[in-house]
Amino acid sequence: MVLLTACASFSPDNGFDSVKNAVNQRTSAEPRWARTDAERGEVRQAVTSLLGQPLTADAAVQIALMNNRGLQATYSDLGIAEADLVQAGRLPNPRFAFERLVRGDELEIGRAFIVNVLSLLTMPARTQIEQRRFAVAKTRVAGEAARVAADTRRAWYSAVAAQEGVKYMQQVKDAAEASAELAQRMARAGNFSKLDQAREQVFYAETTAQLARVSQAAVAERENLTRLMGLWGEHIRFTLPERLPDLPKAPQQLEQAESDALRQRLDVQAAMQEAESVASSLGLTRVTGFISLLEVGYQHNSETGKPPQKGFEVELRLPIFDTGNARVVRAQHTYMQAVERAAELAVRARSEVREATNGYRTTYDLARHYRDEIVPLRKRISDENVLRYNGMLISVFELLADARQQVASVNAYIEALRDFWIADANLRSALTATSPGATTVSRRTSAPSEATAAGH
Amino acid sequence: MTNRRNFLRTTGGMLGAAVVSKAAMGAVPEAALQTSPQTQPPLEPSNGRPYQPVVTLNGWTLPWRMNNGWKEFHLVAEPVVRELAPGMKTHLWGYNGQSPGPTLECVEGDKVRIFVTNKLPEATSIHWHGIILPNGMDGVSGLTQPHIPVGKTFVYEFVMGKSGSFMYHPHADEMVQMAMGMMGSIVVHPKNPKFMPVDRDFVFLLSAFMIEPGAYTPKVAEMLDFNLWTFNSRVFPGIDAMPVRLGDRVRVRIGNLTMTNHPLHIHGHHMEVTCTDGGWVPKSARWPETTIDIGVGQVRSFEFVADNPGDWPLHCHKSHHTMNAMGHNVPTMIGVDHRGIAEKIMKLVPDYMVMGERGMSDMSEMEMPLPENTLPMMTGKGPFGPIEMGGMFTVFKIRDGLARNDYKDPGWYKHPQGTVSYEWTGAPLATERAPAQAVSAPKAREFRAVKPSGHSGH
Ligand SMILES: [Cu+2]
Repeated sequence: MVLLTACASFSPDNGFDSVKNAVNQRTSAEPRWARTDAERGEVRQAVTSLLGQPLTADAAVQIALMNNRGLQATYSDLGIAEADLVQAGRLPNPRFAFERLVRGDELEIGRAFIVNVLSLLTMPARTQIEQRRFAVAKTRVAGEAARVAADTRRAWYSAVAAQEGVKYMQQVKDAAEASAELAQRMARAGNFSKLDQAREQVFYAETTAQLARVSQAAVAERENLTRLMGLWGEHIRFTLPERLPDLPKAPQQLEQAESDALRQRLDVQAAMQEAESVASSLGLTRVTGFISLLEVGYQHNSETGKPPQKGFEVELRLPIFDTGNARVVRAQHTYMQAVERAAELAVRARSEVREATNGYRTTYDLARHYRDEIVPLRKRISDENVLRYNGMLISVFELLADARQQVASVNAYIEALRDFWIADANLRSALTATSPGATTVSRRTSAPSEATAAGH
Repeated sequence: MTNRRNFLRTTGGMLGAAVVSKAAMGAVPEAALQTSPQTQPPLEPSNGRPYQPVVTLNGWTLPWRMNNGWKEFHLVAEPVVRELAPGMKTHLWGYNGQSPGPTLECVEGDKVRIFVTNKLPEATSIHWHGIILPNGMDGVSGLTQPHIPVGKTFVYEFVMGKSGSFMYHPHADEMVQMAMGMMGSIVVHPKNPKFMPVDRDFVFLLSAFMIEPGAYTPKVAEMLDFNLWTFNSRVFPGIDAMPVRLGDRVRVRIGNLTMTNHPLHIHGHHMEVTCTDGGWVPKSARWPETTIDIGVGQVRSFEFVADNPGDWPLHCHKSHHTMNAMGHNVPTMIGVDHRGIAEKIMKLVPDYMVMGERGMSDMSEMEMPLPENTLPMMTGKGPFGPIEMGGMFTVFKIRDGLARNDYKDPGWYKHPQGTVSYEWTGAPLATERAPAQAVSAPKAREFRAVKPSGHSGH
């Protein structure tokens, strides 16, 4: 009976430390699991202090990792898995059977103390399985935290870019407003026809509508970020920096990205751990497959007038109807399934990392192209147009239309820069954490259309 | 070519006597080269029949040689860089270093032999516009002669019949070649030097170019929307003044190779057209005028007696032709209040300045940076301020006491006391005037227009 006391116990951190390390390595932020009111208070304080200054991408990720309630719910998976582990280290409670039979005046009392021996025998194996499951849970929780971190990072870039976009759209609106007002005054002075005036006016009116749309989009992006950081109440009044971080001087060199991904990715690790865990449970099922239940009982029967009977009772269900092979087959298939899943994930991870690498390089080159070619060219065009305006070769309306084009090119650069940073986040995710999801395709919202430039 | 170019740089403004590969040319006379766009002094004839030479405005006369009774000229058709005015150089095609090419001067009855060497990238020919000559010398490529291929030299030989003023220009791909500036003047002097003599005799051609601001080469496909209207491929203030001695009889010969007519107007004098490219106008047929219209392809010579001292403009009266490059689609800004708007615009265009609110003179006053190789649309400084002119504009400077052959710029006219318009400084005049600008919309319809509506009238 001494055996029965050898039971697993709960770790003080519920396995969160290893999650913390894994996430920290990949996101340079530290997840936090607030389990008590005191801890929740601490988190709230930390969030408040992080929101005291303009929110950086890292700070946003940090906040999400400790304040996203969905993530907190996920952290609880650790506790659940560890409970399972602890459970596996404990024997099922023994059964006590009591029989009282009366035959005439004969009284027969049977007592049996029955223990599931197989549980006892398989306990080390099951503990090991649960340990593996616990490890899987830790990897999965870390993966989920890394996913939320990546989502938050992406949301931050989108929100900052959208906020910048509003600023530029505001400038376009200002230019359109100046054109419309000038056109109105020109009409009043008799220099403009109603047609010309209406053309300027309608451009202004359309720009106002566009500004409303862009502003709404900015709110949506910001709210997405707010949700990921789990903010509400006072906390939603955080400020974002004015602009996105600059493009890095040189793009990262990415040799061996595929093998790095296979080594580091949490979802790949989890799938492999899963397969291992299923493998060990397959081994167990093979061993115990036909022994459905082996129970050992201590029997103490006493019958009236007879000395009490004492002895052991072993119950073994005969594998006649159920040879257990169904369970073995099931376990085999489960194992194969896990192996194929892991293999599929490895293939997908390789592909994703290639796609992410390419997306990273393309968006980097595009952003650099906008910054070094298109924006300076637009600037040069604007400078030349000012010279032409000086020579009364073009009108102020053309000058303003051109200014709008220049603004649009700056905005297009911001979008290209945003796409780069999102691609950067995707790459990081694809390399170290988890599937980055659908790679963001560049959404051009402010394509400088020549139509708008044709003021006159 | 390279040698000619180097020569061009080193001689800087002198009349060059460079030789087009004398060895290769054999018996061909030297092709003189002009490197300066300034008006060159008249070329007194050193041989052949005597005559009173002309002065080519911002141009020169081609030297010749006599060869067994033939007057031999050598024209080289070639790409040139012509300064339209200080601050603007253009890539044109011309002759002997300049566009237009040099003036050919000869005398009624002269036997002329003109060598034409083609150094253009395409075939050419020369048509002797207005001159009566044998059909095969008329210079119409394809019709009367083969094209002059690239690198080849052709010879034209004919006798100069009537005296008068004529032109030469290509008759091969002429739309392009004339748009690129290929043209020149021909003056045939009367055999009798006493026939209608004048003291000063000027000649130039009218040409027009479309050169995008900031560009150097004309748009050869342009038909109407020219932005540089020139006297001899120069625009004011790049056009030299014409100095004239008080009392001189002055003749001006003008040929028009643009695609529109030009009413040329003279100030301070009456004039008469005395010659066309068809011949001399009998005295009884002349009208006194101050403006003569020169149609496309025409040559007109007018004469006047310079009896009124001063600085007197001669200009085209189509006012856009006295402007340099300007926007033809800019709305009128006159009378438009810019208050509050300029600041808004400056937020987007920091270098923005309000212009045109009062008119276009802002242009000649402000001196703002323009696209490269672009002249301000109105410019030129006079003794009293900006002249606000460009294009086809120049000045007769009529002065007492100039020497007979003195063509140096005598400077601005010094007006005798009390002969310049002046500011009224007496008591303000009490005149009732209408408000400067009626800005309110007209209250009543001034005329009725039929609305283009499909369902009216039933
Ligand atoms: Cu004109």
